[in-house]
Amino acid sequence: MAEAWFVMVAFCLVMYVVLDGYDLGIGVLMIFERDPLRRRQFVELVATAWDGNESWLILLGVALWGGLPGAYGTMFPALYLPVIVMLFALIFRGVAIELVSSGRSAGGRWGKAFAVGSVLAAFAQGVVLGGLLSGVTITDGLFAGRTFDFLTPYSVLTGISAVTLYALAGAAVLQLKMEGPARARAAATGRVLVPIVGVLSAICALSLGATDTRPELSSTGRLIPVSIAVVLAAGGLVYAMHGFGRKPDWRPITGVVIAEVAGLFALLAAIHPLVVPPRLTIELAAAPSGALNFLLIGIGVNLPLVLFYNWYAHHVFRGKYRSAEPERAAGVSVAAAELAPSRHRPAVSEGVAAGEASREVPR
Amino acid sequence: MPSATLLDISRWQFAFTIAFHMTFPAITVGLAVFLAVVYGLYVRTDKPVYLQIFRFWKKIFAVGFALGVVAGTVITFEFGLNWGPFASATGPILGPIIGMEVVTAFFLEAGFIGIMLYGDGRVSKRVMLASCCIVALGTLLSTTWIMAANSWMQTPSGYALVDGQFQPTNWWQAIFSPSFGWRFPHMLLAVLISAALMVAGIGAYYLVRGRARAFARRTVSLALGTLALLVPVQLYLGDHLADKYIVPYQLPKLEALEGNWDSTNTGYNIFVIPDVGGERNPVQITVPWLGSAIAKDLSGNAPTPGMLNTPPQDRPNPWPTFWGFRAMFFGSMFIFAAAFTGVVLRLRRRLFTAGWFHRFLLWLTPVGVLAIIGGWVTAESGRQPWVVYGQLRTADAVSQLAPGSVIASFVGFVLIYLTMLAVWIGYVVRTVRRGPELVDRPAGIGPPGESEATLHSGRGAGAQ
Repeated sequence: MAEAWFVMVAFCLVMYVVLDGYDLGIGVLMIFERDPLRRRQFVELVATAWDGNESWLILLGVALWGGLPGAYGTMFPALYLPVIVMLFALIFRGVAIELVSSGRSAGGRWGKAFAVGSVLAAFAQGVVLGGLLSGVTITDGLFAGRTFDFLTPYSVLTGISAVTLYALAGAAVLQLKMEGPARARAAATGRVLVPIVGVLSAICALSLGATDTRPELSSTGRLIPVSIAVVLAAGGLVYAMHGFGRKPDWRPITGVVIAEVAGLFALLAAIHPLVVPPRLTIELAAAPSGALNFLLIGIGVNLPLVLFYNWYAHHVFRGKYRSAEPERAAGVSVAAAELAPSRHRPAVSEGVAAGEASREVPR
Repeated sequence: MPSATLLDISRWQFAFTIAFHMTFPAITVGLAVFLAVVYGLYVRTDKPVYLQIFRFWKKIFAVGFALGVVAGTVITFEFGLNWGPFASATGPILGPIIGMEVVTAFFLEAGFIGIMLYGDGRVSKRVMLASCCIVALGTLLSTTWIMAANSWMQTPSGYALVDGQFQPTNWWQAIFSPSFGWRFPHMLLAVLISAALMVAGIGAYYLVRGRARAFARRTVSLALGTLALLVPVQLYLGDHLADKYIVPYQLPKLEALEGNWDSTNTGYNIFVIPDVGGERNPVQITVPWLGSAIAKDLSGNAPTPGMLNTPPQDRPNPWPTFWGFRAMFFGSMFIFAAAFTGVVLRLRRRLFTAGWFHRFLLWLTPVGVLAIIGGWVTAESGRQPWVVYGQLRTADAVSQLAPGSVIASFVGFVLIYLTMLAVWIGYVVRTVRRGPELVDRPAGIGPPGESEATLHSGRGAGAQ
């Protein structure tokens, strides 16, 4: 039962990394983007999806709390500062997204808040993972370590890796959603990032043995799935590398997602059944079966719906990015522009400008 | 035992972050319902004024909702960060309840809010309306689960305590704990009322300024109608909540919120400065007879129970409990006055000409939110010194962190949240000053009666 719940927690983690990873990554890439129009497009692209993506983080937290309370109650005090920094960064970022989409300039302070918040959140998440893998001191079921135990060379390394991995996912999504020079630029960035991510992931994986986690890979039952996953992850990166700059545009993101899923699987398979290294296992951290049953049924039944909402939200805004503000020549009224045929307009319904009221400041 | 400093800062941080968070659901749950209704009216009547109302309030809703989401994420993690032992002990019960909130409400809202906010023109009207309704449903479900979780902490039931951990034995009893049936409707009406008050206040601003008249009349009328229906029910619920849940289950909370030490006062305290160490009130202003009357004894002989009935180590602090309750109670009196006056003026057909009443409504804009926060301060500080009432003391629930870490994070939260609050208020004020925008429709489609109104609405922007 506890094992089944652990699979659910792992699923939330994977969904979070895949989904929020790309929108954090777009924020990371905004650091290098100067063009104000493109900056605005980046933010608006994220605005339609970040809330749903970030909900996986909340579900991950709550899934740990309800199903593995022993882990939730010890790992968060141990990782207090990086988690707090992550939360601060996510606050700034979320507010910045809505303020920029509601009319603030993306080149100004809030555009910067979005970019810096994304980098910090990504880095802090990497540090959280690395700090956890570096080991947590637990006495009598409570955290008993020191404040800066999380800060190790390994956690800094994972922090940097997370930023680059998310940036790579961001570049892959930008190739999918953008056109023309923006697409070409995203592809070029992606080609630079793939080898960096590959090398950093390899260093992270190889130096895991030097942390308190000490994965045990001697049994073949474990070695085989881990090796397959590692090969798949590497394959995903190669596929993404090949896809950057080439049509069809969905290839890079497919490769990156394969790499993310396989990489996380390899990590979890290698450390299983540990949840809070070096000693706390799934069995020890798990809630009683009454809670696990409720969780598995309640959340399990809702999960297909949740996935449907996620899919539908992305489906509505599918295809190349189209600004909510219709392009129209000076002097042409919105109504007149609506009547003209337009290429990128899948479903215009009303004779009213699309979402314009929320963006355009009357002067 | 943890050091007093660590416990105090952890509690201050939690109180501050949850009060900040609560500010936004207090507005956005009701606004989500309001937006769904208004868009529904637009689809049904095709009057541009409804689209104008929808687009205007959508802007305030969007940023408020985002703030609520990010501030809520903080709360989810704070349970583990600052209250690790609490999280470990209550995880098997509260984790699944909050988990249900996440999967039934958060994802529902998150999946459709993008369409609601950015879908205008990309999807059909029907999908827009469905998205608005789904987002509203999500916020209501969220309220339900959160009230279930908090009510369990007030009146825990359906569990067995095994090695210091609360393990579920009966989910029905755990979710529908004894206080849930009263506290949930009370909270639901509170958020609807506070949003209606905000809508009325901002509509009244335009009436005072003589701008955007059709928009202003329609929103003030809708909001005051809502208040007239809901406020009397809320006063009834609030009164019964005390009788049916606080008195039988949490008498010390009632003692503290009424602000008496001994049990002889038949009056009602409207102002108290308590001296906790000396167990007395150096300053106390009391309305005679009223306390007894509220306790359903009109003869004036029923005294209110006092805090000396409870041993000192089990007593909540009367400062936040008494004053939180007064904030809610006095706020509710103003809200009732607004709802009642609104009905009288409407019957006398003077609703849109009584300038003094519009100014009064404008001043009341934030009162609903303040009353909700006051109510929560009463509920939570009145539960002290317990975090799970009667079972787990707050002092035993705090994470043993270095006090420096918690001080640093608390300072960070204060700085960031005050900035965010200033940004949010500035944003709302700017949005309101700019005014609802002209709904640009192809000429000749809109009903002629409405066109004058929509033309007026855009005018204010030029004046800045």
